[in-house]
Amino acid sequence: MDLSLTDTQLLIQDSTREFVRNECAKDVLLDLDEKPVPLTKELWAKVCELGWMGMAIPEKYGGTGNTLTDVAVLYEELGRGPVPGPMFSSGVLGALTLLKAAGEAQKEAWLPDVASGKRIFAVAVTEPRYGWSPDHVVMPAERAGGPFVLNGTKLFVHDAASATDLLVLARTKAGISIFRVDANAPGVAVRVLPGFLSGVAELTFHDVRVPRDDLVGTEGAAWADFDAAMRTAIPVLCSYKVGGCQALFELSVGYSRERTQFGQPIGKFQRVQDHIIHIVNYLDAARWANNEALWKLDTGQDAAVGVHMAKALASEGYLRACDFAHEVHAGIGVMREYGMTLHTKMSRSLYHFLGAPKHHRKRMEGALRLVPA
Amino acid sequence: MDFAIEDSAEQRSFREEVRSWLAENMPEGIEYPVDPGDLTLEQYQLRRELGRRLGACGWLYPNMPKKYGGGDLPVEKVVILHEEMARVGLSLPPYYDSGGRMSAPSILVWGSEEHKQRFLPEIFKGKVRSWQLLTEPGAGSDLAGIKTTAIRDGDSYIINGQKTFVGSNHGADQSWTIVVTDPRGKRHENLSWFMIPMDLPGITVMPMVLLTSGGEGGAGSGVKNTVFFEDVRVPAENLIGGENNGWKVATTHLEVEHGGTGRLGDQGVIRKFINYCREDSHGRSLLESAEAREALVDLYIEAEITRLFAIRNYWKAHTNQPRSYEGAQYSLRRKLSGLDIAEKMLDVVGPYALTNDKIYGLLNGAVELYERDAITALHPGATTDIQRVVMSRRIGIGRKEREQVSALR
Repeated sequence: MDLSLTDTQLLIQDSTREFVRNECAKDVLLDLDEKPVPLTKELWAKVCELGWMGMAIPEKYGGTGNTLTDVAVLYEELGRGPVPGPMFSSGVLGALTLLKAAGEAQKEAWLPDVASGKRIFAVAVTEPRYGWSPDHVVMPAERAGGPFVLNGTKLFVHDAASATDLLVLARTKAGISIFRVDANAPGVAVRVLPGFLSGVAELTFHDVRVPRDDLVGTEGAAWADFDAAMRTAIPVLCSYKVGGCQALFELSVGYSRERTQFGQPIGKFQRVQDHIIHIVNYLDAARWANNEALWKLDTGQDAAVGVHMAKALASEGYLRACDFAHEVHAGIGVMREYGMTLHTKMSRSLYHFLGAPKHHRKRMEGALRLVPA
Repeated sequence: MDFAIEDSAEQRSFREEVRSWLAENMPEGIEYPVDPGDLTLEQYQLRRELGRRLGACGWLYPNMPKKYGGGDLPVEKVVILHEEMARVGLSLPPYYDSGGRMSAPSILVWGSEEHKQRFLPEIFKGKVRSWQLLTEPGAGSDLAGIKTTAIRDGDSYIINGQKTFVGSNHGADQSWTIVVTDPRGKRHENLSWFMIPMDLPGITVMPMVLLTSGGEGGAGSGVKNTVFFEDVRVPAENLIGGENNGWKVATTHLEVEHGGTGRLGDQGVIRKFINYCREDSHGRSLLESAEAREALVDLYIEAEITRLFAIRNYWKAHTNQPRSYEGAQYSLRRKLSGLDIAEKMLDVVGPYALTNDKIYGLLNGAVELYERDAITALHPGATTDIQRVVMSRRIGIGRKEREQVSALR
């Protein structure tokens, strides 16, 4: 038993923290937040140069083949920002989906470009009848002679507007299949959704023709592969949320010392203390459940129960950590320039991404053998 | 990160060694009453016998220094010992020994070399069973407000007062006790700790009638008592950690009691409860109810978070990692999740959870006991409110100076 980070992980943590401090200070994050696509060419160039996009990709496909825990350490630091952008969608969810589902030639063609950052993938799964189970994927892909033709709507797609390439789950006669689609192919339209969301879009497909070569892997058999990719990607997303909780905890402790009312720091009041104790309890529950899930995945153990639990706790934890941080901060917490609402918005944006807490608790029933035969 | 408890060949062979040792040395006739209150004197004596045998190998207090009779074992081997004891339905030590578990770290940090030589080997070798005596009728959460006095008289101190909610069934050889040595002194600067032999004249132990004796972990105490001291004469050399220095010693003690050292192993009753629900329990198919399945997932998660906090604390304490609020956080978590789990169990199985009847009781009455224990467990080792206060100070909420964690070794 050794629950410490490895030297490599400590190095990743330090260098990423420093990068976020220098390159993604609060004013930069506030600027990014105002853009429909929360990304600049300059920031992306730096991200790619640091090799972040190749960390989850094996060396034979141009990546660095890091462990999942290594990758998670990076994303925790990004979550502290919170640094927005398509890093997770492309470098983790997209890359892992290709690794699980794609044929060898496809991997060789696309993964090195993901690793270098030349291509940015977004994964389009959910639809207007929203959900993360296979029966929620109903958009048809019909054969018209050679190519497939996609028609329909994918909704609440993360990072679609930043992407060069889309991995679209759709139904053929054989079942759920994955298609690689150029983000600017004729008939594809992306519309970033306004409101209490960050980088989430509607994607519409109107007679979009997809050549056979862009059918990812085997027709009709994609859900199991995607599900496995999702299971591996989820703890990395959870680490991002844990980073967010950590930042909210530190902000709230700091504010509890500085803000004075009734002649003393507000942190002297036990009711204020209780809010912060809620935050650290949510933070640590999410962190340690996720750490164990990462370890299980990295060591090839059955991680289903742990991953579902980690996602439920991280989604709930990040959302509620924000709520309690707002209780501590009161008025100043909702001032845009204070920066905390970046977390509040992110916690809501990511709440359902790859499945909301209820979905994962439901799936734990199966993983714990609680469903009657 | 490595959560694995068993990995190397060396550890595997140690586990086999422990397992075959236990097979050979487990005293004949050891039984496992669900409620520690049902432990008979004969059964208690068998457990003490096992304790002495473990102590002879340095396995009773395996993480404590060998020099004083501990095992000096690395964390991995300590974990194996805990696991193998749990596998045969026992904890380590296999009997209630709060005074040993809590005093040993305090004596190691604050005791003189003479104190260490005199008191630690007896504890670590299982020759004595010790209670901890802190709470008084007028001092629960406010420990510094105790009233029991120890007044110097020649080579001894004379102790008068009353401790309550303490100890276990079947008595103790000695008690690790905090008292006032300077009744006119300043608060926090007037306390001292004594190791008091329990056979001294003037000590009366009176069992209490409680909902349960409560969840202090380790081996259950079975019973709680009120202990009266009436002109009890204790040799001065039994004062440990310096006269009127007791509050500092208490910080070490409380760090251990508040969960700072963590704990290993899951709550077996949760696993068994889920298994019971999977089966066609008392002719009912519980899992056909969506609400029951949801409640089972909820209680599983509650128990898992508690287990993970305990593992984290254990690892931190035993590898000397920096710690701050984690002990109190674990304790708070354990208390609150216990209540939550008890409610979920009640929801899933209904009033079956509330009987220890031979026909209708669940898991030989373990569920009924859990329902009561979860409530009693709210107070030992400090209430949930005190745990929050400790967390706040350690985190430094509203204050720039974070309260420091006490030394454990």
